[in-house]
Amino acid sequence: MIDPCAKCEEVLQPFLDRDLTDAERLEAEAHLSLCEYCGKRYRFEESLRRYVREAATETMPPELKQRLAALRTPLI
Amino acid sequence: MSESRSEGEPRRLAEEARDRVRFEEEALELADQMYRVARRLVGSKEEAEDLVQDAYARAFRSWRSFRPGTNLRAWLFRILTNLNIDRGRREQRAPDTQPIEEGDYYLYNRLEENGAGGDMDEVVERLSQDSIVHALSAVPHNFRDVIVLVDIGDFSYQDAAQILDIPVGTVMSRLHRGRRLLKQELAESTVGEHA
Repeated sequence: MIDPCAKCEEVLQPFLDRDLTDAERLEAEAHLSLCEYCGKRYRFEESLRRYVREAATETMPPELKQRLAALRTPLI
Repeated sequence: MSESRSEGEPRRLAEEARDRVRFEEEALELADQMYRVARRLVGSKEEAEDLVQDAYARAFRSWRSFRPGTNLRAWLFRILTNLNIDRGRREQRAPDTQPIEEGDYYLYNRLEENGAGGDMDEVVERLSQDSIVHALSAVPHNFRDVIVLVDIGDFSYQDAAQILDIPVGTVMSRLHRGRRLLKQELAESTVGEHA
């Protein structure tokens, strides 16, 4: 029999991507409601995704915006 | 007949100019997203700026090949990713031997072994912004491209597949694998070498 925590680890990504079938999702939720070990790791993954997104996001320099606008076709 | 054609010509030109203006305005509204993605596809700010500028120059030149009503965002980002490939960034070849892939709990387990625990936000905050940026740049490009488009650029699997010209199933498998590789890189840079 497959270790339920190993199985839960396998479906972590599709679970958070909302990419599981209803049956698979319910099975994962049932395990997560009982298993603190997996619950912590799922919550960590959610926080990590947000943090990666924030950390990897840089604002465009305003000068670039001006340079892009200058590429537009001039109106005669 | 020729007189009526010539009478129609100014109108046609005016309509074309209007369509072009609209196209350019809509394309420029996506500039922030273009930069955000470009910045993570290449190594420096300067390269990202050049890439975005070249992508817009190409898009404005070839605007007639965009079919109105289709997905402008995907069309534009496809230009960006193709230009990046054309520039030879693909010289960074995937290693012959693929890295060993750990499971999705690997990073958390390594952080926990090394004394992190308790509050989840504290665990995440042990990872610095620099470590995340560095870890992302260490992920092989074919995995990184998908992470950048889906997790940072907010593209759907379908749009990412269209942009990269790969099947949706490949987007999903590269995304899952790429996220695991990213976590391995983070574990190694935060708590030490791969065990």
